[in-house]
Amino acid sequence: MTSTDRQKAGFHGCRQLKTEPMFHRVFRAESDAVRAALTDIRARFGGAVDAGTLGRLELVLAEVMNNVAEHAGFGDQTAPARLPWIHVTVVRHDSGIACAITDDGISLPEECLAPRSMPAPDSDDLPEGGFGWCLIQGLTQSLCYYREKHRNFLAFSVPMEQA
Amino acid sequence: MQLIVADTGGHIAITVKEPRIDAAIATSFKDKMREIVLQGRKPVQMDMRSVDFMDSSGLGAMVAVRKALPSELPIILVGMTPNVERVFRLTRMDTVFQIQSEVT
Repeated sequence: MTSTDRQKAGFHGCRQLKTEPMFHRVFRAESDAVRAALTDIRARFGGAVDAGTLGRLELVLAEVMNNVAEHAGFGDQTAPARLPWIHVTVVRHDSGIACAITDDGISLPEECLAPRSMPAPDSDDLPEGGFGWCLIQGLTQSLCYYREKHRNFLAFSVPMEQA
Repeated sequence: MQLIVADTGGHIAITVKEPRIDAAIATSFKDKMREIVLQGRKPVQMDMRSVDFMDSSGLGAMVAVRKALPSELPIILVGMTPNVERVFRLTRMDTVFQIQSEVT
């Protein structure tokens, strides 16, 4: 096969189309629905990836989707909040698990994506929050964000455990 | 909230039977745990072997419980699963609790 052929190749050009586990769901951003999606993602990928990778995948997805549920809703004390819709897609590749999450909530604050790590804890002044983005950044590769009109797009990869 | 509480004399032993300490139950977990440790006013030992998953909301609840108890009274976490241990380690909160691998 020449390089030109390969560029033109669709499925017909593949010697063998690989089957990989994938997951896709659209749901309201509520903690119970997030929990249900995570349980089903664990079931979908459980036989296909090692326990460590599965644990890191579940944690990252929990942090991202619960952030949407807790912070991306509209409304205030005077009006009932409108919950965003989350679309999540997860697929296994050879080197890692690719994830894309979009929602129609308010914009992700820029500071969330600023590189961060937790400072050494001060026992007199322990933080009770701020852990989420630290975990997301620490567990992902190629984390990127895009805002288009009314939607947030976040994509990243969770690397496979080193054998 | 599935918490089994026993006063051993020297400390309060809490066996956490919830498989997930996540955003869905973090607030009720925090409130219940605070009530238990504040009543006891003793060192606390938590059996964590049944907890398969904890997210940052669950961790925040654990830290809030730690802050509710005077720092001279330890909170000992026993038998954490790898998924739960990872959350403490990545956020450096593993230094705030005493961590034991085996139930003694």
